[in-house]
Amino acid sequence: MFDWAIIVKYFPILSEAALLTLYISVISLVLGLIFGLAAALARLSSNRVLFGIASFYIWLIRSTPLLVQLFLIYYGLPQFGLELSPFVSGVLGLALNVGAYNAETIRAGIQSISHGQTEAALSIGMTHAQAMRRIILPQAVRNIIPPLGNNFIILIKDTSLVSTITLVELTMKTQQLVGTTYKPFELYLAATILYAILTSATALALRAVEKRMHLKTQRS
Amino acid sequence: MSDAIVRVEALRKCYGDLEVLRSVDLQVEAGEVICIIGPSGSGKSTLLRTINHLEVPTAGEIHVNGMFINDTSLKGKAFDKHLCEVRTNLGMVFQHFHLFPHMSILQNVIEGPVQVLKQNKAEAEEKAMQLLTSVGLADKRDAYPDMLSGGQKQRVAIVRALAMNPSVMLFDEPTSALDPELVGEVLSVMEGLAKEGMTMLIVTHEMEFARKVADRVIFMDGGFIVEQGTPDQVFGNPQHQRTQQFLASIHS
Repeated sequence: MFDWAIIVKYFPILSEAALLTLYISVISLVLGLIFGLAAALARLSSNRVLFGIASFYIWLIRSTPLLVQLFLIYYGLPQFGLELSPFVSGVLGLALNVGAYNAETIRAGIQSISHGQTEAALSIGMTHAQAMRRIILPQAVRNIIPPLGNNFIILIKDTSLVSTITLVELTMKTQQLVGTTYKPFELYLAATILYAILTSATALALRAVEKRMHLKTQRS
Repeated sequence: MSDAIVRVEALRKCYGDLEVLRSVDLQVEAGEVICIIGPSGSGKSTLLRTINHLEVPTAGEIHVNGMFINDTSLKGKAFDKHLCEVRTNLGMVFQHFHLFPHMSILQNVIEGPVQVLKQNKAEAEEKAMQLLTSVGLADKRDAYPDMLSGGQKQRVAIVRALAMNPSVMLFDEPTSALDPELVGEVLSVMEGLAKEGMTMLIVTHEMEFARKVADRVIFMDGGFIVEQGTPDQVFGNPQHQRTQQFLASIHS
């Protein structure tokens, strides 16, 4: 029997757990952006060592499951005396993971800007770094935001995996409640709704950002 | 001629097996307006782009204002810094404008003076507005490049280069991407610059313009300077067969 009362009763508790999910997502997102930008610039750099490190990082992350990466960090590293809390392990694992995907997104965005823009920047005496920061990246951001938004939404959903390393976020909390109430359908439905709210709000926010960027420079 | 503002010596440029510039020597005096003409693939654009090191020379030397551009004794960061300094002396105008689309017209113009020359913003804006006024685009200061016509874009591109106060202006086919009715407005800006005494190197297909404005016309073919002289000499009485053929082909 489907019982609405269960959803109503546990929604506040689950919402609280969803806040932790949101918190993990936001921190991983910011770190993931930094990792992604650094790896993208390293991949475009003429420095062979940086290029090699970044390529290896991106390859390793993209060719292995996130779950195994999380286990390696949380259960594996203590073997070498590096004990990280579940929260730090989770955020680090998620950020490294999304960072690798961001790196490829950002690199493609940078390469989509015509080489003429770089030449024009260099011709007024800019350094390569100035040209990248002032001319190329601001334009690339516009192309990067939609695919980057995709990565963010995947990230929010992937946070459910950190439940396996003892973090009591939305998925873990739901599992715990299911254990005590024996109402899996109602509770997983509630979790589904909460995940859908988080990802949809993110998608809407990104669309608004995208729209604002385009309005500014286009003929009205 | 040690007072040449641009001095190119035995310049050679290869892309793999393809030799685009074979051995080019060129001296440009201050205030001189030089038009470089020739068939496509003759190396004229490459010559221009090599002068501000957008193309790296395979061999030879280029000096601008007494600075040795492709000074290979400088390495890494030192060379990058040297290059930036040299380039502030050289204004470059591209066939496809390459304005910065994410910046307003005024921002496009002050970007170099503020970021590279470290001028204060108010000062740079004042100079930028003077220059924009001189090309009739003061009212476009807050517009974005996508809102302008090709001719307007190219005039802004010229202003962006001039804002750096260069000693030499390089024009790489500045009117080739324009609709025919917009060519005139850009050429008249360039003609005005020439009259003010700007040193200009112009790669162009506008023969009427070259005849009227150039002090010297250079005909290039196959990676060489085949022939050069006053417009009257080159257009009126070309000495080389290849020059004659080229001029005949574009007049027909």
